[in-house]
Amino acid sequence: MSASPLPTKPNSRHLAYRINAVVMIVAGLLFAAPILLILITAFKPDSEIVKFAGILPHKATLHNFQEILGSPEEIPIFRWFGNSVLISSLVTLLVLTVDSLAAYGLARLNLPGKKWVFGLIVATLMVPGQILLVPVYLILNKLGWLDTPLALIVPAGAGAFGVFLLHQFFLTIPRELEEAAALDGCSKFGIYRHVALPISAPALATLGIFTFVGSWNDFMGPLVFLDSVDKYTLPVGIALFQTSYYAEYGLTLAASVLCTLPVLIAFLLFQRHIIQGIALTGSKE
Amino acid sequence: MTTATSKTRSGAWSGYLFVLPYLLLFTVFLLAPLAYGFSLSFYRRELLSVVPPKLIGLANYSEALHDPYFWKALWATLRFVALCVPFTMLTALSLALGLNGLKGRLQTVLRAAVFVPTVLTISVAGILWRWFYNGEFGLFNAYLHYINIKPPWLTSTGMAMVSIALMTLWWTVGGPTVVLLAGLHNIPPQYMEAAEMDGAVGYRRFRYITLPLLKPVLLFVMVLNIIGSFQVFGQTFMITRGGPEMSTRSLVQYIYETAFNNYRMGYASALSWLLFLVIATFSAAQFRLMRER
Repeated sequence: MSASPLPTKPNSRHLAYRINAVVMIVAGLLFAAPILLILITAFKPDSEIVKFAGILPHKATLHNFQEILGSPEEIPIFRWFGNSVLISSLVTLLVLTVDSLAAYGLARLNLPGKKWVFGLIVATLMVPGQILLVPVYLILNKLGWLDTPLALIVPAGAGAFGVFLLHQFFLTIPRELEEAAALDGCSKFGIYRHVALPISAPALATLGIFTFVGSWNDFMGPLVFLDSVDKYTLPVGIALFQTSYYAEYGLTLAASVLCTLPVLIAFLLFQRHIIQGIALTGSKE
Repeated sequence: MTTATSKTRSGAWSGYLFVLPYLLLFTVFLLAPLAYGFSLSFYRRELLSVVPPKLIGLANYSEALHDPYFWKALWATLRFVALCVPFTMLTALSLALGLNGLKGRLQTVLRAAVFVPTVLTISVAGILWRWFYNGEFGLFNAYLHYINIKPPWLTSTGMAMVSIALMTLWWTVGGPTVVLLAGLHNIPPQYMEAAEMDGAVGYRRFRYITLPLLKPVLLFVMVLNIIGSFQVFGQTFMITRGGPEMSTRSLVQYIYETAFNNYRMGYASALSWLLFLVIATFSAAQFRLMRER
């Protein structure tokens, strides 16, 4: 933890410190409470959800989970889960590979005109995604990729964010390291592979987590590019589920728990990486 | 063998092999669609229609300017931005200042608590808040019932967008908060010590030391927040479907429906370039305003 910028280190015995701490704890609880509520309520029978009588269930039940996991014909939740895992993993792999290669070339190699190329890439960071929706849909249609996982995987490799992030990181690698590797007979690719990548592990991890969570949570993409229910990812699957099982809140919440747990666990494991990465790059949207 | 230090012509160009895979994707799925979408906005292009695409000049744009649904969606979007941005910025700043005053471990834990809603996908967050807001058995009204108020969270045209903004505050304020907190961490402690020696504490220190030093980060976060808010879609789509009476149908939802419910690709492209124009205007104005002050 970095040193606090307060002039006097926060002193837990000061009254002001304690008041602030209490206020912040209450705020933290307010933010976390809704997520705990999903977890708790998913164990309630529908009758208790519809007629609210306290936060905790009177009769805790696994019924919602049994129902949702036990009818793969009507609710292909395993399918959606598998699709989500497949798509998010491949997107992450693709982004890490092409972005790190490009960022390395643009940051560390003497490429003619690279300033222009990099400038053009960075400029597209300002383009709102919706502008691409219709033309990308038509291009995917031409390629015959609509309603396949390719529609969600390949275009995701075009985003400029990762190239920008890794480029800035690669710039900080000391020249001497590369020169030493070159004297040892390393090729350009060897230097990228054995010097630049290992040094940049934290930046790669940050980009990897962002990309995975972003892809896992993506809603607009699968909504527009997929048609068949068995091709869906979890977020759109659950949204559809909510429309068809509108009255059954218990089932919907249980499905939400299953969709949320993987990212929640990933977040709790890597929260430092994620939050520092966000603070570093200052972007979420 | 080529080495990193060699500067021969062919060696220089061969380095582009590194950039090639990305440039290929970038060209096909970013640059080309950008150009294609722009040209589409001057065409009548209807999917599932026998009518062939036809160049119609600015007709899509002039249709938009005479389209009451476009103006209604723009108004709903502006209302959302006006409700969301100030509250998000104020809340994020307050939370960042509060967290910054806490000691290591407590700060880390509470920072995570504030941030955790942002990792939820919108369908889950939407389902959750739909249940909170439900008039019959919603969590909020179950408690407000005791003091005999029953706000029409999602059912009144005046209130619905406010409810959406409140949910959005919960869902998204974590991002701006951690960025501002990092900005506070980066203020050199000497400034604070010097200020304290000059007797600047509490509000005065905040106003004359912290705020000016935080300004670049604040501007950055605010611009991102404005841009993000103009693109609101998931929340309204999941929670209200744009209702009641289209009072929460945002521009992005209108674009989505125009393209993928009505298959009017040309018109949808024109609408999305108009949205881009609005966003660009607001961001530019924002930068100018903040620089002058």
